[in-house]
Amino acid sequence: MATKITKILAGAALIAGMAGFAPAAYAASCDTDKKIDIAEMSWPSAAALAHIHAKILDAGFGCNVEIVAGDTVPTSSSMLTKGRPAFAPELWTGSIVEIWAKGEADETVASLGAAISDGAVEGWWIPTYVAEANPDIKNVEDLVNHVELFQDPEDNSKGRIYSCPPGWACEITNSNLFKAYGLEDTFNLFSPGSGGNLDASIARAFVKQEPIAFYYWGPTSLMGKYDMTKLGMPTHDPEIYACNGTADCATPGKTDWPTPTVIKGVAAWLPKEAPAVAAYISKAALSNVEVSALLSWGSENKASAEETAENFLMTQEAVWSTWVDADTAAAVKASLN
Amino acid sequence: MFPEVFETRPIRIWLDNGLEWIVINWGDSFEAAATPLLWLLNGIEGGLLTIPWWIIIGFFTVLAYLSTRKATLPIIVLVSMLFLGVMELWEDSIKTMALMIAATVTAIVFSLPTGIAMARSATLRKIMTPVLDLMQTMPSFVYLIPTVMIFGPGKIPALLATIVYAAPPLVRLTDLGIRLVDPQVMEASRAFGASPRQRLFGVQIPLALPTILAGINQTTMMALAMVVIASMIGAGGLGYQVLQGIGRLEVSRGVLAGLGIVVLAIVFDRITQSFGKQLEARIGVGRGRL
Repeated sequence: MATKITKILAGAALIAGMAGFAPAAYAASCDTDKKIDIAEMSWPSAAALAHIHAKILDAGFGCNVEIVAGDTVPTSSSMLTKGRPAFAPELWTGSIVEIWAKGEADETVASLGAAISDGAVEGWWIPTYVAEANPDIKNVEDLVNHVELFQDPEDNSKGRIYSCPPGWACEITNSNLFKAYGLEDTFNLFSPGSGGNLDASIARAFVKQEPIAFYYWGPTSLMGKYDMTKLGMPTHDPEIYACNGTADCATPGKTDWPTPTVIKGVAAWLPKEAPAVAAYISKAALSNVEVSALLSWGSENKASAEETAENFLMTQEAVWSTWVDADTAAAVKASLN
Repeated sequence: MFPEVFETRPIRIWLDNGLEWIVINWGDSFEAAATPLLWLLNGIEGGLLTIPWWIIIGFFTVLAYLSTRKATLPIIVLVSMLFLGVMELWEDSIKTMALMIAATVTAIVFSLPTGIAMARSATLRKIMTPVLDLMQTMPSFVYLIPTVMIFGPGKIPALLATIVYAAPPLVRLTDLGIRLVDPQVMEASRAFGASPRQRLFGVQIPLALPTILAGINQTTMMALAMVVIASMIGAGGLGYQVLQGIGRLEVSRGVLAGLGIVVLAIVFDRITQSFGKQLEARIGVGRGRL
C-alpha cells in the first residue's frame, strides 16, 4: 500500500518536474530544430528585412535562426546547389529567371510570393535638375548628344555611366544594355566596385549639383532622398531581357526592366519541414511605401539594419501583426526592449 | 549593458552634415590639390601602357640580373611576367603596377623625412605614433567613402588610401633604424668634428640602411595588399579582377588575379632587396660582415 502511494507520488512529482522543465510556450511552433539561415544582402532594404524576419522567427516561433551575409548571385547559387541559406527575404530574380525556375521544378528551391507587394523599379537615371536643364535628354539614346555633360573625370574623351558592383545581377544586364545601345565609343561603363561606392558617387553628384548618369533601383532611401528622372527605354520585352541577363548573351537588345520580380526565396526543405514558418513567410510582404518609410527612418537616424528592424517592429505593429497570430505577435512584442 | 549616458544621434547627424558641408565648399579645392598625384599616376600608367610588353619584361629581367648577378632571379621574373601576359592579365597588371609605384614613391618621399625627424625629436615621436596607429588600423572604408565624396570615385581615393596604409611601416622603421645607430659611433663622429648634416648622411642613414630597406619592402608589400580595397572604390586593375571573382563566384578568376598580385610582389620585392644588398655591401654595412 505504502509502496503504491509512494509510486504514485513519485510519478506525480516526476511529471510536475518535467512540466517545470518544459520549454517556454511559443504561440506558433517552429516544427524544426534545423538552423534557419537567413541571407542578409548588402543593400539596406534587404538587410533590414533579414533582421525583421530573424526577430519574428526567433522570438515568435522559437526557431534556431542565424543571419548570414549574401548577395543576389552568391546566395541564389548557394541555394540552388546546396539548399543553403534557407531563406532569402529579398531575392531579385530578374536575371536568374531560368535557373531559378529550373530549381523550382527540380524542387531544390521554392518561391513564397513577392517580397515587395506592389513591385519595385529599376533603370538608368539622371538627376531631375539635369533633365530640367536639358529637356532633350529623354531616352538613353539622347545621352550621346551630351557626352560632355557626363564627362568621365579619368578619361576626358568619353562620358561615364555608373553601373553595378560585380555580384549584382544588374551588372550583367547593364553591360549588355551598354553594348546594345552601342555606347562603347562615347561612354565608359564604370564599375563602382561596391554598393557603398555607388551610393557615395551618386550622393556626391547630387550634393554638388553635378550631372551624373547611373543605374539605380527602388525602393531605396537614396531614391527617396534625391529627385531623379528615369531615362526612357523600349517597353519591356521578356525574351530580349532574358538574354540581357546572361553574361554570354550573343545579341544583347534594348529593353527596359520589367517591374522587377523580387521574391522571397526559400530552400525546398523549409516548406516541407517547417510549414508554420513557410506560412508566415508567404504572408509577410511590404509595399513600396512601407519599405521607403522604413529606409528613410533608417537613413535619417543613422540606424543599422538591426536597429531599423527593431524600430519597424516597435512602431509598425499594425503592419506586421497581420502576418502572425495574436499569441506570436505578443511574444515578439515582449522580446523587444 | 552599458548605460546610456547621452543621446549620440545628434553627434552623428552633425558629423554627416559636416561632411556634406565640406564636400560642397571645399570639394573643388581638394580635387585641385590632388591633381599632381593624378598626373603622376596617369603618367606612369600611360607610359607603361604605351611601351611594348617585351621591352617591359626585358627591362625587369635585365634589372633582376643586374641586382643579383645570378641566373635564378631573372628566370623567375621572366617566367612570372610571361604568365601575366599569357593569362590575359597584362593591362590589369600594368594598372596595378602603376598604382603601386605611384603610391610607394609618394609614400617614400613623405615617410623618410618624417621618420628622420621623429628620430631626432621625442615630442614629434609622441605626436606621430598615435597618428601612425590610426593610419594602420582604421578600417579603410571608414575614410574611403568620405574621400570618394570629396574626390570622386576612381584613382585618387585609391591612391590616397594606399598611401595612408603603406606609409606607416616605413616611417616607423626609419625612425627605429636611426635611433638604433650605435651611440658610440655617433660620439666618435662628433669627436671627429662632423656637422649634423654629415652625421645624418654619412653615419646615421648608411648604418640604418638595412632597417630602412626593410621598411621600403614593407611599404611595397602593403601597397599591393591594398589593391582589392582600391578596386572597391573604382580603381580597376588586378584587384578588380579579384573582386569580380568574389562577387560572381568565379573562383578561377580570383585565383589567377591573386597569383598575378603575388607575381608583382615577388618581382618588385626581390629586385629592390637585391639592389639594397648591393648598396649595403658597397657602403660596408652588409649583414654578416662583422
